[in-house]
Amino acid sequence: MLLMLMTKQGQEKLARDMAEIAKKKSQWGDVWKRLFRNKRGVLGMGIVVLLLIFVLGANFFTNYDYAVQDVTNRYGMPGREHLMGTDNYGRDIFTRLLYGGRISLMVSMMSVIISGCIGIALGSIAGYFGGRIDLVITRLLDILMAIPALLMAIAISSALGSGPVNTALAISVSGIPHSMRIMRSTVLSIKSNDFVEAARATGSKHMRIIFRHILPNTVAPLIVNSTLQIGGNIMAISGLSFIGLGVQPPTPEWGSILAAGRIFIRDFWPIIVFPAMCIMLTVFGFNMFGDGLRDALDPRLKD
Amino acid sequence: MSLLEIKGLTIHYETRESVISAVNGLDLSIDESKTLGLVGETGAGKTTTALGVMRLVPDPPGKILGGEILFEGKDLLKATDNEIRKIRGNDISMIFQDPMTALNPIIRIGDQIAEVIQLHGNCSKTEAMVRSLKMLETVGIQPERSIEYPHQFSGGMKQRVVIAMALACSPKLLIADEPTTALDVTIQAQVLELMNELKQQNKTSMLLITHDLGIVAETCDEVAIMYAGEIVEYGSLAQIFRNALHPYTIGLFGSIPSLDKDVDRLNPIQGLMPDPADLPEGCKFHERCNFIDEKCETGELETVEVEPGHFVRCLRVAKGEI
Amino acid sequence: MTKYIIKRILWMIPVLLCVVTIVFTITYFTPGDPVLIILGAGNYTPEAYAKKAAELGLDRSYIGQLTTYIWNLVTKLDLGRSFLTNIPVSNELMVRIPVSFRLSLMGIAVMVSVGLPLGMISALKQYSILDTTLTSISLIIAAMPAFVMAILNLLIFGVILRVLPTTGLDSWRNYILPVVSAAGSGIGVYLRMTRTTMLEVIRQDYIRTARAKGQIERVVIQRHALRNCLIPLVTVIGAFVATVFSGSIIVETIFNITGMGTYLMGGLLGRDYPIINGTVFVICTLVCTVNLCVDIAYAFIDPRVKAQFTSPRKRAKIVKELIEVKGEAS
Repeated sequence: MLLMLMTKQGQEKLARDMAEIAKKKSQWGDVWKRLFRNKRGVLGMGIVVLLLIFVLGANFFTNYDYAVQDVTNRYGMPGREHLMGTDNYGRDIFTRLLYGGRISLMVSMMSVIISGCIGIALGSIAGYFGGRIDLVITRLLDILMAIPALLMAIAISSALGSGPVNTALAISVSGIPHSMRIMRSTVLSIKSNDFVEAARATGSKHMRIIFRHILPNTVAPLIVNSTLQIGGNIMAISGLSFIGLGVQPPTPEWGSILAAGRIFIRDFWPIIVFPAMCIMLTVFGFNMFGDGLRDALDPRLKD
Repeated sequence: MSLLEIKGLTIHYETRESVISAVNGLDLSIDESKTLGLVGETGAGKTTTALGVMRLVPDPPGKILGGEILFEGKDLLKATDNEIRKIRGNDISMIFQDPMTALNPIIRIGDQIAEVIQLHGNCSKTEAMVRSLKMLETVGIQPERSIEYPHQFSGGMKQRVVIAMALACSPKLLIADEPTTALDVTIQAQVLELMNELKQQNKTSMLLITHDLGIVAETCDEVAIMYAGEIVEYGSLAQIFRNALHPYTIGLFGSIPSLDKDVDRLNPIQGLMPDPADLPEGCKFHERCNFIDEKCETGELETVEVEPGHFVRCLRVAKGEI
Repeated sequence: MTKYIIKRILWMIPVLLCVVTIVFTITYFTPGDPVLIILGAGNYTPEAYAKKAAELGLDRSYIGQLTTYIWNLVTKLDLGRSFLTNIPVSNELMVRIPVSFRLSLMGIAVMVSVGLPLGMISALKQYSILDTTLTSISLIIAAMPAFVMAILNLLIFGVILRVLPTTGLDSWRNYILPVVSAAGSGIGVYLRMTRTTMLEVIRQDYIRTARAKGQIERVVIQRHALRNCLIPLVTVIGAFVATVFSGSIIVETIFNITGMGTYLMGGLLGRDYPIINGTVFVICTLVCTVNLCVDIAYAFIDPRVKAQFTSPRKRAKIVKELIEVKGEAS
């Protein structure tokens, strides 16, 4: 009611102020503080940061080449020379895991970005416009969700063939419905806020409202979702590589290293245990970090 | 002897970051079949006091640190879990602020009322059911609706169910925590009237928690004004409404519009309630008081009886300066 | 109630048709010529090639092939024949479906029966050592994909301790490792979810109301908290069904179990599209069906939903009985 009595400039200012207030609600400084108070979140962040340092600076941490074979030094046990031993071709396992992590992380992030972008677009359209468009998009993605994520990834990646980019594409398809849903519900909840009403009352264009008022406020849930999804994607990528799709030897990838070592399970444990640990630790790290972020961004959800 | 007597009740919420002093040495008493209005702003510690009487303060983080709550001469704070359980719902029952969330969403309302009757009424399931149907009739709900679930009722109807539940065992004391705040204005009057009627029929004493002085005027015999976990003024309805002495009480009356006096604008109390995690020294109201003195910031406060039955906790009133 | 169930079953039909179409399309456009795979490269005449292609129906257009495929599936439950062995896919699947289905259902059962009680205990004893231990373990388990879990189980129980068999499904002991591995990360995640849900429920106002009635703490938990907590927890099982089913596919290959998983892997290796299409379709159907059952179970355990579907006649009967009870007593 009040809105109708105000001048157009007044209305615009109000809309801007309220958007500002909504943004300030999750001030990043506070978020940091809360994140650092959360023990598990800090642990997760520590793991993720360490992982990034090790994986990105792989060349500094090892003197070996991940592909060079050394027949005289096969099945080497962990020791000073080879931190995690050597595999059936005499390659340094630690080195292979470092470079493998690069692939895993890269592919995982790539697919988060792909599915995120498509999900954001679909979700904001569905949530913002509602009505028939919403119904169609939601129903289509419901059908897509009827296919278990891993099966979908298997089918697509067998069609596209192996390789990092194809694997990222294959995995991102099954991630779309998820990020679309999160985006849609966030947009729906923000849409009902007064500042969006105010912006609409001033006659702002749809695109302007979406980009200026709605999207900035969806950043927080999207960050949380992406962090958690990186962990999930790493599981999926290593799973695909494990069954021979996805990234294939000789390119090192945690799942394919584990698959290649599978036949030696009875005789040589390092080739099994270390890649398994890598996958677990990484997923654990991203999960904890994501949970910590979520609690920090929305303290109400904390248990 | 009064039915309920609270002496020096202190309740704190202790979290890792801070200690919130919700109730600080509170004294109160309610006589039989009398209604006491506990008035104060949001965050003054009214609900915590009520939960304290029921021994339902969530622990952690809530801790009852000291004081006595004498109900019929017996200290509830020293009662065993089993003893207090027999008192809850039977001798003392409570109506909560939000009827929307106070009822279990997946149990039929008839069964929810029957539950309390069966616990204290010493009767069979069928009898409890019959009595719950009667209770529903008493609060003005068709008994046939007892097989429905809370989500099928409106807010006002739900509050009637909560009242039925609270009064099912004819308690001696009813604690009503802002029973009408969550309801529409028209429904508020209905619910209030219903509560008054039933209370008079059963000769129940009531502790009515509210921030609405209008409701107090209609319902209460005695009034206690609460501020930052303390009672700042206490007296009969007439004493408080005609002869308010504490600056805070005066401020409260200044912030409601009056029909008989012609005023240009209302006089709300300036400022906000102090952070209960960091209460000021001396009088807790001094930061917002218009009659402030140096002693108010540091001095020890005492509650003074200014006329029979009228107590005020203010240094300047005590010295007769106001 | 019946109407709701029928509506849900009818909705499955378009979903599954779309699933068939999606999967068929993906494999149709996959590079690689099945005829060449069957005949072997460089080892055929153009006539033989044309004959084989016509025999398999691969010479027709995409739409033609798709409609035939769906028509055969709907009318004859025929999923085509394997390119390599020429055995009908449906025959092969008939033998393998029970194996995989049993494995997955047991996985879900393990997930619920371990995660639910432990999660509740953890919530009710919040901040205790037991709670901390359980949460930490569940977080670690939640970070393990099924195949990592399977490999580690194999290593620990099969190779190092040698207490459990690691291949086949001959006795009940054979089931332990595959089932636990298929449940995999689900156990951890479900435990966490139970804990969070329970913590949320016991903080609700109606729990306080129940205590204010003077109810015994045990009954407050059982009657008021537990049921409210179970309703959302049953619904989320649906979200795990897909994970456990796909987890069991990989687990089968690790423990050498002749189920759909090993069949699918064989199909992937030989680019045997009828096998891939058929298996994926069957698994999707199973997942949808189990999900449907979970949804129906939800309607049964949530009295609000059930009340919504109570027929007016039945309702009137209950009310009448109630009034009779009252009449008798007074």
